[in-house]
Amino acid sequence: MSGSVNQRSTVGLTRRQLLLVGAAGLAMGSGLLLVPKRYFRMPQHAEAFVAKVDHYQLDIADVITRGIRELGVSPEELKGKRILLKPNLVETASGAPHINTHPLVLRGAVEAFLNLGASMVMVAEGPGHRRDTLAVYEESGLADVLTEDRIPFHDLNYITGYELSNAGRQSSMRTLTFPGLFQEVDWIVSVAKMKTHHWAGVTLSMKNLFGVMPGIYYGWPKNVLHQAGIENSILDINATLKPHFAIVDGIVGMEGDGPIMGDPKHVGVLVMGRNLAAVDATCCRIMGIDPYRVSYLERADNWLGPISETAIQQRGEAIASVQTNFSLIEQIPAHRGIRLA
Amino acid sequence: MSLHGLLANELARRALPEGGFVDRPRGRFRVDATAWGILASRTIGWGREILEQQRSRLVREQGEDGRVRVSPQHPECYWPTALAVLAWEGSPASQSAQSLAIQFLLNTTGVHFAKKSESPLAHDTELKGWPWIENTHSWVEPTATCVMALRMAGYGQHDRVHEAVRMLLDRQLPHGGWNAGNTIVFGQELHPMPEGTGSALASLAGAVDEHQVARSLEYLQGEVDRLRTPISLGWSLVGLAAWGRWPSKGGALVERCLANQSRYSDYDTSSLCLLALGGLAGEAKSDVPLFQRLGRNQASVVVSS
Repeated sequence: MSGSVNQRSTVGLTRRQLLLVGAAGLAMGSGLLLVPKRYFRMPQHAEAFVAKVDHYQLDIADVITRGIRELGVSPEELKGKRILLKPNLVETASGAPHINTHPLVLRGAVEAFLNLGASMVMVAEGPGHRRDTLAVYEESGLADVLTEDRIPFHDLNYITGYELSNAGRQSSMRTLTFPGLFQEVDWIVSVAKMKTHHWAGVTLSMKNLFGVMPGIYYGWPKNVLHQAGIENSILDINATLKPHFAIVDGIVGMEGDGPIMGDPKHVGVLVMGRNLAAVDATCCRIMGIDPYRVSYLERADNWLGPISETAIQQRGEAIASVQTNFSLIEQIPAHRGIRLA
Repeated sequence: MSLHGLLANELARRALPEGGFVDRPRGRFRVDATAWGILASRTIGWGREILEQQRSRLVREQGEDGRVRVSPQHPECYWPTALAVLAWEGSPASQSAQSLAIQFLLNTTGVHFAKKSESPLAHDTELKGWPWIENTHSWVEPTATCVMALRMAGYGQHDRVHEAVRMLLDRQLPHGGWNAGNTIVFGQELHPMPEGTGSALASLAGAVDEHQVARSLEYLQGEVDRLRTPISLGWSLVGLAAWGRWPSKGGALVERCLANQSRYSDYDTSSLCLLALGGLAGEAKSDVPLFQRLGRNQASVVVSS
């Protein structure tokens, strides 16, 4: 197991949290409440599955099927269900396929969910950098794969939306507008890419959900979410949408100046789980990043899911067997001090 | 079938009996689809009566302060306003709606701020253009469409248009082209995109000297042959036509893109109309920018250098 700056106690509290709880007690005693509510949350538990997949030509469907089973998803949960896969399609650039979720990971996910009894699987995305979703779909190679497999693709940027009250209440956004298509599906699966991010530190399954917010309501880039605070918005979207499953493509990820200008990083893993915060915390540890130092993950801890190593039951490969440090850039504030000790 | 004929058929298929256009065949009314549909149907010579019916539907979607919203539930999403100004051009019946929309645009901008010395952003964050959504930063495509709309409506000399032209030039990438509106972040120059480049070039034609956009023209001319999707190709053709660079293979590119509907199903109305306008721009044999050609103030030079 990799070490962590915040060593966890057996009851799931870090030393830092224990100190804060103590401070809160003092503060309450003096009539003040200075400590955020998240420090008083009950510890949660989740599972994450790590599979070694050295390259994209391997049988990814089989790996994902195995992961879904090992994570305890029963056939009854998927039988007859309509599954929406949300990839990370950002933009395309010559020689930079590592910007986007690889098409063969999506093919594998489609096959896996269909094999496990889903009645329908679709892929849907609303890129934030490009107005021309079809261009990203085509140039990323995903169109070739999904057309061959006769899997529908939906452009989320232009779909008329429906509003939900903001369940996260981290930003000032009172409501969030999601694509109407989401009312017609049973499961939403974030099929993300393992990347560093120059504003958020990392972009994994939680940050990937920025792409579900329709551009016609949030703009290109999705600047409404930036104005509301990137971290606040990540938490709000996840708390409100409550996605069902995550698969992170870490076969080749991106290090350095992600999410678009960084370098490819071969890790050779897929990471999966029902709980997105736990999956992302596991990815961070694989990337040599301390999830407690990624602000939105630290805030999600024991609210949207656990991020403590002791609270995440690791299935498949041990983190230490696949861990490889992603390069970070000191001049990028979101990268400073997040390296796993 | 000619592009003209194909567009006529598609517009007829997508027009609502009560006015307006649907977002796609058998779809729902959409404001932006209606504005693009009006621009396209005017270009192919639809009669005044039917155009006025479409325009009046757009008037009904206008807010009291002049903004034209994606939907009444989302007044903050006012990016269709510039498209409506373009769609109402030349219509006496829509003149008051157009004037109100113009005043709204002239009195509205994005969120702008003084840049701190340690900012990782290279662009001038204080230069004002227009945003997609209220209370966000100004970006390239909405600014470009506002510049086109205001120039066409005779406001080419307005301070807001002058400043927006400077903003667009400032957001041009050092190696040519535009993207959504970021140039260099943390020391790395970002990638250009055809749709941002085409729209910016269309808005700047006749407003800046060619040498100021030479690299962007070069970038787009190098890209256009490989484009197969309607938004990228449509804006690219409109932008290149505005500078007299509509490609010799333009018609074939449009045909190829239209044929791609067998793979992607019917294009949405806005994209289809943009693509068709890009295709028809080549038939016009004119250097006057497409949208300005529709208007009364065809050659309002804004900034010469």
